[in-house]
Amino acid sequence: MFITLLKKDLLLELRSKEIIISMLTFGVTVILTFAFSFNVSPDIMSTFAPGLFWIMILFISVLGLQRSFAYEKEFDAYSLMLTSPVDRGFIFLSKWMSGTLFLIITECAVALPFVLFLQLNIDVDLIQLFGVIVLGDLGIMVGGSLVSGLAMRAKMSAVLLPILMFPIVSPVLIAAVKSTVGLLNHDPFVDWQLWIRIMGSFTVIFALIGYTLYDHISEE
Amino acid sequence: MSFFSHTKNQIWLGLVSMLMMVDLYLILFVTPIHPDQQWAQRIFYFHVPSAWTGFLAYFLVMIGGILFLWKKDQKWDNFGLASAEIGTLFTSLVLVTGPIWAKPIWGQAWTWEPRLTTTLILFLIFVGYFMLRAYGGHPERVSRYAAALGIIAFADVPIIFISVKFWLPEFQSHPQVEMNKQAPEYLYPFLFSLFVFTMIYLLMLRYRMHILNLKNKALSE
Repeated sequence: MFITLLKKDLLLELRSKEIIISMLTFGVTVILTFAFSFNVSPDIMSTFAPGLFWIMILFISVLGLQRSFAYEKEFDAYSLMLTSPVDRGFIFLSKWMSGTLFLIITECAVALPFVLFLQLNIDVDLIQLFGVIVLGDLGIMVGGSLVSGLAMRAKMSAVLLPILMFPIVSPVLIAAVKSTVGLLNHDPFVDWQLWIRIMGSFTVIFALIGYTLYDHISEE
Repeated sequence: MSFFSHTKNQIWLGLVSMLMMVDLYLILFVTPIHPDQQWAQRIFYFHVPSAWTGFLAYFLVMIGGILFLWKKDQKWDNFGLASAEIGTLFTSLVLVTGPIWAKPIWGQAWTWEPRLTTTLILFLIFVGYFMLRAYGGHPERVSRYAAALGIIAFADVPIIFISVKFWLPEFQSHPQVEMNKQAPEYLYPFLFSLFVFTMIYLLMLRYRMHILNLKNKALSE
């Protein structure tokens, strides 16, 4: 059932490409504003870069979540989905997974302009960096998908989502920035492994809470 | 029927008012002046009990949320909302009294101290909670969403606290008053203040739940 739901999200996106295109364009726009706002030497910029990167990710994840849940509101598709014999927890898991996947794809595309426009010099093991980023994405999206489920059908959903989501995912933001800094500074893993554990714990705890709560919050 | 027309509630109100007066008297006239922090230390008799009450209230929002989702009884929704309102009131007091104390003692009004930061984040989540309550749409659905948010918010507290604590570890070295290591003349009025604030919370909770019940009755008629 989970696979079917995930396929549905991915197929919709494959046909329209709405979510990824809007996330990508918005990401590049954010990079542009960063470049204009901080006109500093590349050395100083590189100390800010991890923070700026994760701020950008947080912003584009809100955009992606809003698009992804807006689909469900059109033609009241969500109510129809609830009438089907689906475990509601799986709806949450599929939204979380598809959201993370879209975010990762967007990041791969947005990473080049980020490094290029901010004149950064990245010299790290890219696989490790990718691992940290994926873990951060999972954490941001698990909190985001959970909050989207609550805010989706509110009158002010566009406003409510970031207001609720940013404070809730703040531990992930701190941990993601800290571990990215640790990696870029070539600090030994023991110095920043705590942050990996915090992101992991957050993801596991919120995945369990989300899976359990979705059953209760998505009743008609 | 008004809340205070019940004899039981009148006794409650009288008792809590009297305890509050005694508490103020103890804080202002009985407790000795702290040698290091002078008068600034006295805000602790307000600041810490406010924080305790705020967190207790938010914890009970979570309990109310769990019970509401489980039992589907409107009573628990009222309980959660009332507790969230009072919790936010006391959390606001914490965020006001914290900087007042920190200015003379730490030299700056705001620091990213883990407890203060966790309180601020929780406060922000609950501002969102009231927005969700106000703009969430269908009332029955909003109750469920609010219950879920109450659970999420409190489940987040330990993770927020740990991440903020290790985010800026240098803040741990700031001098803080450890109340449980203080002499009895500081400790007992402090414990009394904790007790009084808890009583105030319970009275406010009863009062607020009474009003919410009346409101629901009026709406359903």
